[in-house]
Order: sequence, then structure tokens, then C-alpha cells
Amino acid sequence: MTNDTKDLVEQVRGGTSQRVRAAARLMSLIENFPERIPEFLVGAADWPETRMVIGLTGPPGCGKSVLADRLITALRTRSPNSCIGVIAVDPSSPFTGGAFLGDRLRMMRHASDPNVFIRSAATRGHIGGLLLGVKAFIRVLGLAGCRTVLIETVGVGQNETEIVDVADLVVVAIAPGNGDAIQLLKCGLMEVGDIFVVNKADCDGAAQLYAQLLAVLRLNANGQNRGMSETCFVSALHGRGVEELVDLCEKRAADSEQAWRSRRRQTMVNEVKEAVLEEARQRLSRVLGTGPLSTQDLNRILRGEVTVTGFVDELIQKLTGTREVQDHHG
Amino acid sequence: MSEQDERKRIPQRVLIGKVGLDGHDRGAKYVAHILRDAGYEVIYTGIRRTPKQIVETAIQEDVAVIGLSLLSGAHKRLLKQVMDLLKERNASDIVVVAGGSIPSSDIPGLKAMGIAEVFTPGASSQSILEALASLLKARRQAV
Repeated sequence: MTNDTKDLVEQVRGGTSQRVRAAARLMSLIENFPERIPEFLVGAADWPETRMVIGLTGPPGCGKSVLADRLITALRTRSPNSCIGVIAVDPSSPFTGGAFLGDRLRMMRHASDPNVFIRSAATRGHIGGLLLGVKAFIRVLGLAGCRTVLIETVGVGQNETEIVDVADLVVVAIAPGNGDAIQLLKCGLMEVGDIFVVNKADCDGAAQLYAQLLAVLRLNANGQNRGMSETCFVSALHGRGVEELVDLCEKRAADSEQAWRSRRRQTMVNEVKEAVLEEARQRLSRVLGTGPLSTQDLNRILRGEVTVTGFVDELIQKLTGTREVQDHHG
Repeated sequence: MSEQDERKRIPQRVLIGKVGLDGHDRGAKYVAHILRDAGYEVIYTGIRRTPKQIVETAIQEDVAVIGLSLLSGAHKRLLKQVMDLLKERNASDIVVVAGGSIPSSDIPGLKAMGIAEVFTPGASSQSILEALASLLKARRQAV
């Protein structure tokens, strides 16, 4: 199978029989060659977009994957013709680079459903609870026709909150047995939820945790003069409370669709800006070169023969000079 | 960048799972564990999967290898289904290996079917890692 981004994009968009393979291969390119991520921005303005990106986060073992499994079922039942994409992230070993990706295990009942595309991903050293190319992953899923995308972060501690920048809607799941009410007062995780879920409602201590959560959220709302975050009491294992959670998500989507779309546009423009600046930096750094010549050159600034701005002007001049020569020969 | 550097930088993806009705997953989990520690990204599917679930998962995850553990005696039939589905989905470039209680007399037949390697009880972790590394090397050269 080809590794050419453009061909693969056309195969996904064209809805051929190779659609799923091509989308999966694109995701591998994003993971394996992060320097090629900017390729996925070229022409992306007219790619089909997702309607709702739900970020599901919470501590390890609080039941995120089982909850994701239930959410897929509920969303598929509500819109039988709609496709759902899932990105399930687990940590890479900082020692071996290997990873055990075990989220998907809980969602295997959807494995042969052609309208569900699940992709497991390892963090590969990226900090923040997600993988580096997650935004490009979402766009590929959009291209493949997924209207809803569900992202399950790694089991988070207190400070992995990158999901806020990536998802339209953040669902924070917590479960009894992970410490007392003091944990609910800590910053980070407890500040990022649009919706808070107490999972494992069937377990001891769940009702108490839910009451404590409500109290903390009420105080937060008073302190910050804003509406209270929404909450749900769920047993993902037994499928209780899941419909209510989907209702909350759908209501948010209906209220905020326009705002989400423009925020996503803005994020994409920011990404393009970053990519352009990175390309410019690399080109200038090639002109500057390395080794003794570059050191000699830079010493001119230290000796006061040229200012930093003047030096950059020279660099740009050299860059455009080489560019013209290249074009001439090209 | 040398091939070794390249391999070090890019983890290989492997699916480990069980098809059919037997639920003894110690072997599959053991292999998943040693692969993880050897730097592979292991997608673990758990027990009692259908051949179709395995093949669709392998495609979505873009794995290089599928490793299936079978202790039920139904290996010939189940592995045949997996191989047929891979062909149907135009994904025969994915390497398939099997492990478990498989009689040695069945191995030639499985290999003829396209199973790249069969690991029987007692296979050392070292032998599994070496076999996988050389299969992956051959695959990279073929692709």
C-alpha cells in the first residue's frame, strides 16, 4: 500500500473499499513521521468535519474504556447511519518505548461494526495525556466520515489537561476508591470538565463521592460566577446513567455547534501558523549552518560588528538568494 | 538514518489476541508482556474473538503482525478463516503467527496456509522475539 499522503487522502475521501486501510495508514504516518503532520493541513479546509469531539478523561482504572464502550452503543443506537471514531490513548514506556494498549479490549463488541473506527495510540513520549498528532487523527476520522469522535486519554493524574485544547466537550470520570474528598479540591483535572461523571455507581462509596462532587462543584460555581458544571451518576458496567450522559452531550452539541466549529477553525489556523514558523526556522537555520563557520559568523555580533536584527536581515537575504538559484535551476 | 535507528525510533505494532471459545489467556498475556518490554506497541484484544473482529481490528490499528493464541484444538479452522478474511480485505501483507497447544503434525499445513510461524509450549521468549524480528525485517524489505 502506498505511503503517499495525497493518494491516501483521496482513497479515504473517495469511500473506496480501501477506505479503512487508507485511513489507518494515514494515522500511522502521523504517528511515525511527526514532521509530516503539516502535510495534513494542505487542502484541509474542505475536508468533512466532525460534529462533536468528546474527550473522556480521568484517573487510571476509573472505567473510561467501559464507559466509552457504552457511549458508542448509545450513540450508534440514536443515529444508526452515523459513523463514530474513537481514539484510545495509553502510555508508552519511557524505558523501552513499548506499550500495552488495552483500552480497545473493552470495546471489542464494536470491532465488526463498519460504522465504528477505533484506533489505539501510544503517547510515544508526548506529555499531556494524548499523542502528538491527535488533531491530525481527528481530521482523518472526519475525512473517513465520522460525525462524532470520542477520545479517551491515558489515565490521568492531576495535571494532564491537554484534552481541553483538543475536544469540544470534556467529560471527566471519577470513581470511588481513589482517595477522599480532598482530591476533589485539587487543581488540574477537576477544573477541566464540562461534564463530571461518577462511575461505578454500583460500588461502595459511590453515592458519597457523588454528594461530595456536587458540593465542590457548587462552591466552584459560586467562586467563579458561572453556571455549575453538569454531573452524571453512572454505572458503565451495568449501563445505568449512560443515556442521561448522552443527553447532556447532545444538548451541549445543539447549543454550541457554531461556537465549536469556529473554535476548531481557529485551532487549525494556529496549527498552520506553527507549521509555517517551523518551516521558516528550519530554512533559516540551514542558511546559518553549523560548525566553525557559523561560530565565526555569530561572533561578529559579540564583537559588535553587526546587530542581531542586521544579522537576520543578512540571513534572509542569503536565503532568498539561494532560493532564486534553486528556482533558476529547477 | 540507519535501519537500526529507524527501528528504534518507530515502534512496531502487534495485535495479540485469542479466537474461538477457549478462555485460557495466560500465554497471550505473557507474550503481550514480553513484546511490550521489547519495545513493541501491543494491541491486546482479549479472549473469545471472532476471526472477523480480529481482522477488522488489525486493519484499523494498522498492525504489522497478528499473533493468535489457540488452545482449543480448533486452530486449523479458525486460522483459515483469519487468513481468508485478510485476503478478502486486501491485507495479506500483515504477518500472522500462532501459538499454543498445536500438534507438530499440523504445523506444515498451517504454514502452507500462510501462517508465518507457530510457537508451541516451551518456546522461549528469546526465540519468539528473534522470529518476530526476522519476519518484520523481511516484511519491511518486501513492502
